[in-house]
Amino acid sequence: MKVHLYQIAVSLIALFMIYQGIENFIKGKKNQTLLKLFTRIIVWGGMAAIAIFPDLSATIAHIIGIEGNINAVILIGFLFIFLLIFKLLSTIERLEQDLSAITRNEALKEIKK
Amino acid sequence: MYEKNVKIFIVIPAFNEAQIIQSVIKEIQSAGYQNIIVVDDGSTDDTQKQAAKLIGEKALRHKINRGKGGATKTGIEAAKIFDAEIIVTIDGDGQHDPKDIGKLTEPIIKNHCDVVLGTRLINSSGMPYYKIIANHIGNFFTWLLFGLWVTDSQSGFRAYSRHAAELINTKSDRYEYDSEVIREIHLYKLSYKEIPIAVRYTAYSMGKTQKQGFINGLKTLYKMIWNIIS
Repeated sequence: MKVHLYQIAVSLIALFMIYQGIENFIKGKKNQTLLKLFTRIIVWGGMAAIAIFPDLSATIAHIIGIEGNINAVILIGFLFIFLLIFKLLSTIERLEQDLSAITRNEALKEIKK
Repeated sequence: MYEKNVKIFIVIPAFNEAQIIQSVIKEIQSAGYQNIIVVDDGSTDDTQKQAAKLIGEKALRHKINRGKGGATKTGIEAAKIFDAEIIVTIDGDGQHDPKDIGKLTEPIIKNHCDVVLGTRLINSSGMPYYKIIANHIGNFFTWLLFGLWVTDSQSGFRAYSRHAAELINTKSDRYEYDSEVIREIHLYKLSYKEIPIAVRYTAYSMGKTQKQGFINGLKTLYKMIWNIIS
């Protein structure tokens, strides 16, 4: 099997990122949770796996059926809707927090006098 | 008595507790604690009026309902304004026994820790089995998402030193607040203790619809995950 330079580079970067995640988690650094560690391992591990075994992406595409142009268009549409929902939920969350802050300030006004 | 020279404030978040709030306040006063803050979280009954008859201006009101977490945070902010040295949070439905307040505050007064978590699960006798299971699930997800294992991540009966109250900065308004506090303890490396507490499951407290049930539990889990990924 012929190994390309990008495969080594991506694998090394992925290894470094995963190592850093594990180190942060063990040291209990700020905002480090098990879920974040898992996400890091899945994302970087997935990139390394695809870099080392390029045929893997074709196999995955074949399994989930994203091979034709129409499928790609539908997938992009789904991604767009997903991003839109994510953005909407983030905005609602921010507004909820603003509402709580206003309600809190109003409640505390009397005792702040 | 360890409390004599320490300014202890008791914070009670309350939603539609007009029937019982006065008896809860009186019981706390009888236990020797006069600094009580009630936060009426947008109730549709006269919870605030009933509380104000006993504690006056310390009966605060949210004009709209923001949830247990939002109301508790308001109460803690109010206690800070009143220069509280220790802040105790307790549920407004009478399920917690004010006689346990001393057990919660003692380790903080003795400088043994910053936060004391009242736990129902070290001695869970009398607790309905489905609540025990739900609490274990809550503990598991709190550990998984926030990285700290505690025996009762959903307990609302807790005590905080002034130092901890200044550091802990929660954003959650609903029941996920209790787990978020655990995250903050872990994040700021605050020292904590778990102390067994008595819980009184009365027909009144069990009959309240807004309590943490199965559907609310799922909502809480969703919010905990959302707070991580957003």
